Amino acid sequence: MFKLFASTALTLCLAGAASAETFKWAGTTDPQTMDPHAVNSAPVLGFLNNVYEGLVRRGKDMAVEPALATSWEPIGVGEGWRFNLRKGVKFHDGADFTAEDVLFSYQRASSEASDTRSWFAPVADVKVVDDYTVDILTSAPNPIFPDSIANWMMMDKGWAEANSTALPDKENGNYATLNANGTGAFMLKDRQPGLTTTLAPFDGWWDEAEHNITEAVFTPIDNPATAVAALLSGDVDMINPVPIQDAARVDERDGTKVIRGIEARVIMLGFGQDRDELKYTAMAGQPNPFKDARVREAVAKAINVDAILKTIMRGSAEPASQLVSPAMRGFSDALAARPAYDVAGAKALLAEAGYGDGFSFGLKCPNNRYLNDEAVCQAVTGMLAQVGIKAELDAMPVQNYWPELRADNFDMYLLGWSPGTFDHEHPVRFLVTTPNPEKKLGSWNFGGFSNARVDELLPMVQSEIDDGKRQAMMDEITSIYQSEHAYVPMYVQPLVWGAQDNIELTQRPDNFFILRWVTVN
Amino acid sequence: MTTSSEQTAKPKSMLARAWDSDVGYSFRHSPVAIISSTVALLLILAAVFAPLLAVMNPFDPASLNLLNGFTPPLSQAEFSPDWFLLGTDDQGRDVYSTILYGMRISLFVGFAAVALGMVIGITLGLISGYFGGWADAIIMRIADVQLTFPSILVAMLIFGVAKGVTPVEYRDQLAIWVLILAIGLSDWVQFARVVRGATLVEKNKEYVQAARLMGRGALPILFRHILPNVMSPVLVIATISLALAIIAEATLSFLGVGAPATQPSLGTLIRIGQGFLFSGEWWILVFPAVTLLALALSVNLLGDWLRDALNPKLR
Amino acid sequence: MLSYIIRRVLQSVLVLLIVGLVAFAMFTFMGDPIDNMLGQERTQEDVDRLRARLGLDQPFVVQYVKFILSALQGNFGVSYEQGRPVAQILAERAPATLELALVSGVFALGAGIVLGVFTAIRRNGFMAQMVMTISLVGVSLPTFLIGILLIYLFSVELDWLPSFGRGEVVDLGGWTTGFLTTSGLRALILPAITLGLYQMTLIMRLVRSQMLEVLRQDYVRFARARGLPERAVLFRHALKNTMVPVITVAGLQLGSIIAFAIITETVFQWPGVGLLFINAIQFVDIPVMAAYLMLISVMFVGINLLVDLLYVAIDPRLRT
Repeated sequence: MFKLFASTALTLCLAGAASAETFKWAGTTDPQTMDPHAVNSAPVLGFLNNVYEGLVRRGKDMAVEPALATSWEPIGVGEGWRFNLRKGVKFHDGADFTAEDVLFSYQRASSEASDTRSWFAPVADVKVVDDYTVDILTSAPNPIFPDSIANWMMMDKGWAEANSTALPDKENGNYATLNANGTGAFMLKDRQPGLTTTLAPFDGWWDEAEHNITEAVFTPIDNPATAVAALLSGDVDMINPVPIQDAARVDERDGTKVIRGIEARVIMLGFGQDRDELKYTAMAGQPNPFKDARVREAVAKAINVDAILKTIMRGSAEPASQLVSPAMRGFSDALAARPAYDVAGAKALLAEAGYGDGFSFGLKCPNNRYLNDEAVCQAVTGMLAQVGIKAELDAMPVQNYWPELRADNFDMYLLGWSPGTFDHEHPVRFLVTTPNPEKKLGSWNFGGFSNARVDELLPMVQSEIDDGKRQAMMDEITSIYQSEHAYVPMYVQPLVWGAQDNIELTQRPDNFFILRWVTVN
Repeated sequence: MTTSSEQTAKPKSMLARAWDSDVGYSFRHSPVAIISSTVALLLILAAVFAPLLAVMNPFDPASLNLLNGFTPPLSQAEFSPDWFLLGTDDQGRDVYSTILYGMRISLFVGFAAVALGMVIGITLGLISGYFGGWADAIIMRIADVQLTFPSILVAMLIFGVAKGVTPVEYRDQLAIWVLILAIGLSDWVQFARVVRGATLVEKNKEYVQAARLMGRGALPILFRHILPNVMSPVLVIATISLALAIIAEATLSFLGVGAPATQPSLGTLIRIGQGFLFSGEWWILVFPAVTLLALALSVNLLGDWLRDALNPKLR
Repeated sequence: MLSYIIRRVLQSVLVLLIVGLVAFAMFTFMGDPIDNMLGQERTQEDVDRLRARLGLDQPFVVQYVKFILSALQGNFGVSYEQGRPVAQILAERAPATLELALVSGVFALGAGIVLGVFTAIRRNGFMAQMVMTISLVGVSLPTFLIGILLIYLFSVELDWLPSFGRGEVVDLGGWTTGFLTTSGLRALILPAITLGLYQMTLIMRLVRSQMLEVLRQDYVRFARARGLPERAVLFRHALKNTMVPVITVAGLQLGSIIAFAIITETVFQWPGVGLLFINAIQFVDIPVMAAYLMLISVMFVGINLLVDLLYVAIDPRLRT
């Protein structure tokens, strides 16, 4: 079904004239909207990265590189950042990209109606200096700001206003929900929500294209077995994800292959540690053992992460020692060891804490959120049983899971965290600081871990410009949450994509599928 | 049927009489009926005596060794001296033992759901058919509502409500009872309709009229006179419903509202196993599926035979 | 008669209203749409604001009354997931489900009648017994497993048929059809068999038992005695008389085919209303769930009403 193409950059310029080479791919979730400012979710942002662009973008190695801005430099001492815009960039409808569009996109993306407004919390003001220069002023020194805006996508002011979509409208939808006008390598050709979305290359793109696609069709397939069948039977060219257990089969089969990588997401166990009593099983109402750091440490020692990775993850994941993977900024190299698997040690710790006879408690787990999440929780239940503590597993779909966690309905729970900024600061801000709704801190710290020193260090980390000093503070935070066993990080979730053999692509650790790096041979 | 209305007869003689009856004759002369009832009986016995037959208790997390996972049938695990007849699943559970224990749950859910559907259906059907009028209208409209809701939704509703009202410490047993309620509740309508229809016919017959003239109350008439005479279609439906209930439990499990993976039913085992169909660990799917097939097929065949045997027109 | 019809219609409307109320009561237990709508960086303030804007902070009875009032004006609300009117989404998805239901209905009826007649006339034959037994295999395994096994066999191993979706469709003024392209027709085969298998077994059994009864009737015996060819006896006399109950049951089953297409559509990623509904459950997309349930209820209650009224028209004794 695939004609052979010479994989030079030339072919794709001519390809439009020849018979169209359609690239078909499938993923689990349909992007909810085509509006880059309406919804802050990975399926939407990942998809729209092909259509819209930001001032900066992430390369194949996740490093930030110039996109619609050619360069940027700090203003004064931590007052903000100046961005010099690229000249000659056109939107898909032919309009020019200028500083006005940046200001407009800031207003749109930081409006009440936008989900992405939290990205702009540090921003005090945006000033247009001239057509191709923009100053973004921050209320406090913010060294990582350019790193944090790779998904802030630029929309044309004229197009948005002409189609009365100057603000996103997630609830009722508007023109931008179904239509798109970016500056990216691909244009939105056809959009049928929940069914198919078709993209076509943009001839007037400012950058040199690496791909040779003439048309790309995305179909959401939510049943994993159906997706694998579609790949194996050649009905699609690429699927994301391949269920881990099917990876070997896809790899071995003639004509298909697997592309593996390590995702940024760390899978961990969390504890309800701020309350005095257990909530579940026959022991409900009894004193909560997880308040004791020794019990949490015993859990860490009881989990045989290697066995989980070997069987359930089939060798395609890496163990984790911290809340981020080693590839992330701010990872503490000095603290990279995770507690060794040690049944005797775990039992000794439990005995020391006064739980030598064990206890029972409730473990909450999602069953459709992370790769093989339910199987992992089952394995955890088995391993904890070996050291004498009995977990009662309650696995549920994710739409029921978050409300349960927010209602504090757990003794222990499974959580995966992917740092949106690729920085260790991100999970610390959301998971480790004491919950404080006013300061927007600790908003996913369901267990209520609290440490005054961490709370004190975080603002200092956020405004520290010097990398060495910043890392020293990160190291201190890491050693605190590690020695307190605030969480039990288990492993970094793998990325497993499947494709036909004639497809060449690049897998980025944030699990975004970037079409401009795809070649059909 | 000649046997069931005789309530004074002793069980033993009832069995003997059943053997000699027309139905008994038909049974003795139907190889399908004999084979399928033997298979069904064996499977039910295997489930009942699962703790004696199984080599491990798959519901006890402490007995599992994750490193035994994915051992093929008739082979030794990589890291332990244990042998596994039908292999192990992703958690290192012995598939053979897990099937035995899973069948217990499936059969328990199946029997309990059918019993529930039958009790509700017969009661409402009798009332509806005998009294007619508003009672009939209300019951039949409720039946319409019931038919409208796919059982998955009924299950989710009951699950949600049950979660809200059960004390936290009993929640782990919840799924099984939710399944029974959900399947039982989506099942009663056909019992009610059949019983209602039969009651409509029976209530105008002379023996009922006579009983009524003798001043017997509605309740005795319904349960002593009418019920025994509508039992044969109910029995057929009950048999087929049992097979349907076991299948429905599997389907609900596929949609995410089944028995928990730590205490899997046959349906949950199939749901888990289908994830390994492409990856080559066929035994995790095939053995539970074959067991489910054998169970449902033998019950269905029995139902089929029973339908023909109880239909005097076809003799 | 008129008063009966009026009473019956009123009852049906009441049923629909109750279905809606129950549906809304249960949505409160099905999870929280807010989490799907806001990203991981949402604050409690965002959650409260959105909840108030969607009216989710109000009791379910209020939400329900609001839904009914706007539904009466033809407005089924806006999908939380897609941000588009629900009525429009349902109209887009309905052709896929209706075409699938039609094809599997025709398959069930056609195969069911042929096999039913066959097993009736060869009642004790070996082949007939085999057909009876094998057809039971189809109802002794869960639908999703049958679907997955069919995909495995015919798409992955043999590569004969597509594994998912509708293939190419042609848009006929708002109605997309898969009947006009080869890929569309090929895509219909596996899902239609999966969905129709259960109904086929049911119809086959019904035809068989009806035929067995009819064949004992005097007029059939007479026809045989008169020396009419067996074929004429079977098809002109016997089969014709079994058709009334078969058609009635088939009609009633059409409703359940559509309702239970949910599972088949999930397995085959068939872009119909059932798949839409499953996605809506995962997203807790209340407007879509509500509209789907109302639609299915109207269909079921409507079919029931029609059947009841027809029976009354035919049999005056039922007019109590």
